[in-house]
Amino acid sequence: MFNWLANPNRFSKLTGNLQLPLIILSTTMILLGLYYGLFDSPEDYQQGDAVRIMYVHVPSAWLASFLFFSLAISCIFYLVWKHPLADLISNAIAPIGAIFSVLTLVTGSLWGKPMWGTWWVWDARLTSMLILFFFYLGYMLLSNAFERKIDGSKSASVLAIIGLINLPIIKFSVDWWHTLHQPSSILRMDGPSIDKEMLLPLTLMMVGFSLFSIYLIITNVKTMLLEKKCEALILKLNLKEFS
Amino acid sequence: MSSNGSSWLFVLVTHIKRDFLINLRSLTDLVAIISFMLLIIILFTFGIGPIKESLDIISSAIIWVGLILALIPSLEKTLNKDLENGWFDQLLTSPIPLEIILLSKSISYWLMVIIPLILSTPIFFILLDIDLKQTPWLLTSMTIGGLAISLVGLIGASLVLGAKRGNILLPILIIPLMIPILIFGVGINEAIKMDEEPINNLLLLIAFTLIYLVISPFISALLIRIAIAR
Repeated sequence: MFNWLANPNRFSKLTGNLQLPLIILSTTMILLGLYYGLFDSPEDYQQGDAVRIMYVHVPSAWLASFLFFSLAISCIFYLVWKHPLADLISNAIAPIGAIFSVLTLVTGSLWGKPMWGTWWVWDARLTSMLILFFFYLGYMLLSNAFERKIDGSKSASVLAIIGLINLPIIKFSVDWWHTLHQPSSILRMDGPSIDKEMLLPLTLMMVGFSLFSIYLIITNVKTMLLEKKCEALILKLNLKEFS
Repeated sequence: MSSNGSSWLFVLVTHIKRDFLINLRSLTDLVAIISFMLLIIILFTFGIGPIKESLDIISSAIIWVGLILALIPSLEKTLNKDLENGWFDQLLTSPIPLEIILLSKSISYWLMVIIPLILSTPIFFILLDIDLKQTPWLLTSMTIGGLAISLVGLIGASLVLGAKRGNILLPILIIPLMIPILIFGVGINEAIKMDEEPINNLLLLIAFTLIYLVISPFISALLIRIAIAR
């Protein structure tokens, strides 16, 4: 199955059909989620309107962690089975995940100022998210630090796999340490403790954000594939002229 | 099996001896590292100001941060030279596993660079006016944590092996991995300051060191094989 998908041409053909429905679906979901989230959902009894930043903050936090997980998995595929496409996919994921982690930190501190009275606290959840951002950054820097792109890919893949250790720390930091950040209210053993009317826009935003990032990843990978084709073409032309 | 084990021990000791001789001939590096640490501490005290109360709160943290920062510039050199002069290519053709040699590298870096640096830190304790009862704990925790720093540094040095701007990249890659060492290392001294039992933090620090001791030779051997294949 993976070998079948790993062919770049097949990948392009298959995902080419997906791009349009993905962008339409994700935009509708994000717009609907924003409408419900900003205008048609109840205020929090303590936080007031400030709770609405959750509809951006939680999906981006979830995506920042999940995208790093996918990046590391595709790095494993690259290291073990040496699929070049897996490397392209992890390269495509990295900037998107990095932006989501920045978005998480920024929206979190915008919310934190009125709620906690400070932009930033050094608690475990916030710090581990910041470290996740540095892992994204390190991955991107390392994979571009060598003369040839392909040299950096393997070392950077190892770094991404080391970085996996950070993900359970992010997830469980609110349970392991008594932090200022509130514990999880959605993925709990005893079911979500969040209000149903808030759950609808949140789910819409989560699915919308995820579909949108899949769209971005596909676009990124296709661009990189085209770039490679261009390079090969230029090389061929130069060779012809030379001979 | 036992003869195999003892021959690996022999390899380990021989390589540590080799690195010892190399380090002995470049003592200026060590002097530079110690002065760098002193300067980091001076920077901190200038930044905080000479108020004794505020210095007391963070003095052990300053020592730890100084230790980590002072070591970072020298990490890259530990492997880079060996790659450049073809030492690793030679090793790959020998039956000795690369992991053993890398383990000996980090142990010798610990013995030859980190421990002398730690032995020079009592001067800094005087400068920062650290409580005398903290001194043995600080030295012990830094000695144990130093091995972990050396092992993490080994991973870092092999990550950037052959990279264009390895020296700039290295801190970004390894500082996240050093955070647990710093937390528990400083935690020991915080506990001493509060007159509590420091044993929990000490055990956690040892645990992290042991984890790094197990994984880092394998990770960096993997990375070095990648680097040689380039």
